[in-house]
Amino acid sequence: MKYFLYWGCSLEGSGANFLVSIKPVCKALDMEFEEIEDWNCCGASVSYAGANDLAIKVLNARNLAIAEAKADYDIVAPCSSCYIQMVKVNHEIQEDPALLKEVNECLAQGGLNYKGGIKVRHIQDVLYNDIGVDRIRDRVVNSLNGLKIAGYVGCQSVRPYGEYDSVNKPVVQDHLIEALGAEAVPFPNKIRCCGSGIFLPEMEYCMELVKNILEDAINHGAELISTVCPMCAMNLEVYQDRINEKYGTDFDIPIVYLTQLMAVAFGMDLKKDAALHYNVIPPEGILKAAIG
Amino acid sequence: MENKVNYNPSFAEEVFRNVDSGEEIKMCMNCGVCAGSCPLSLQMDYPPRQVFALIRAGKRETVLNSNAIMLCTSCYTCVVKCPRNIPVMDVMHGLAHYSLRQGFVPRKDTAAFGREFWNQVYKLGRIDEKDLPRRVFFAGGFMEGVKKTLSFMDIGLRLLLHRRMKLLPERKIKGIRSLRKMLDRADKMGKGGAVT
Repeated sequence: MKYFLYWGCSLEGSGANFLVSIKPVCKALDMEFEEIEDWNCCGASVSYAGANDLAIKVLNARNLAIAEAKADYDIVAPCSSCYIQMVKVNHEIQEDPALLKEVNECLAQGGLNYKGGIKVRHIQDVLYNDIGVDRIRDRVVNSLNGLKIAGYVGCQSVRPYGEYDSVNKPVVQDHLIEALGAEAVPFPNKIRCCGSGIFLPEMEYCMELVKNILEDAINHGAELISTVCPMCAMNLEVYQDRINEKYGTDFDIPIVYLTQLMAVAFGMDLKKDAALHYNVIPPEGILKAAIG
Repeated sequence: MENKVNYNPSFAEEVFRNVDSGEEIKMCMNCGVCAGSCPLSLQMDYPPRQVFALIRAGKRETVLNSNAIMLCTSCYTCVVKCPRNIPVMDVMHGLAHYSLRQGFVPRKDTAAFGREFWNQVYKLGRIDEKDLPRRVFFAGGFMEGVKKTLSFMDIGLRLLLHRRMKLLPERKIKGIRSLRKMLDRADKMGKGGAVT
């Protein structure tokens, strides 16, 4: 099946291990990707400081319009911020046709037009609904053998629309984790926010959010935390020693993208495909022990 | 009888006219579910419910200076939970944008971060993840910039060593000129500008 892949800015930098692992994993599941030509940033969560709401919508509509003119594939957005920004535009123009007119008046400045017909989907959605847990399970050669994983869903990959999963009790990531042979441990903080895009400028406040998430996952038995968002991954992983310093904790738990886990379970190369050496807190030991 | 509530509709009307999603607060019944669900409400001087009440009470300076309007993590929990279907997050973003345009700075670092983020979008069409923090750190002057850069060296180095930093500078997208024209038009057509 063919899709547009809109990977966004982070997956070329701080979230590189997500993109590196997405490509071979999705190829193994017969998904084909095309890049949206000359794509631009989605504006993420903090652009409101410089731009009004319409400008941020137009920014996203440009990508949607370029894709729509090319083909009618769905857009897959692995970064939850990219995902929600584009999904939000689609929802709002559906509710308010006058908004689509305004957006198009702006797009016309660059010779573009958006009809509103392209679907944007999170990578969890396509893995779960288009590929399905059965096909994923069939592809597993290295079962993760009951490894206890906390599937951290975060915010923008499901809220606010709940397009493919419950906004209050999401289960999709847990089912995908279990298809790999691991055990998905329940933990209430799986949908609490990590601080997202304002973690860096508001670190003093946001460290507590991450501390609560890590603590909750570990208290529920997690040996590893999986994520599907480059901001969640960064905030949960890279600042653990600062949190330890501030709160006297001793966190040292690997934060791994779901697709990295899939690459490992699919028997792919731990470096080239799973990009495990990109992780700051090394997950190799735990994963190698799990697959035996 | 003395009017103790002191409602003053003039600021509320200003908000309805100029702030993105500002009219949504008309639906607020002050139940406080937004405050209860917000991950950072304990750090806020006035959680969203109170911000909306203050708008109705005409407290312009208090609202536009409130740290709450720039402490939104964009987690959408309030949007999901609000029993009146108010997109609380959008209102907060709209207020923050309006506040900055009016010359208030509710949160210095987040304001610098957000502004620089948008500058990069406008200049390049994409975000340069290594350049963004550098510019934000130096937004408060040279000495502060050096201090902040040094305090984040460990994080930067760690990302670099683990191949999570794009080494080449981010280049402009090909359609940057036409993108800017689109954004300029949106800036004129949309809300959030001068007081009217």
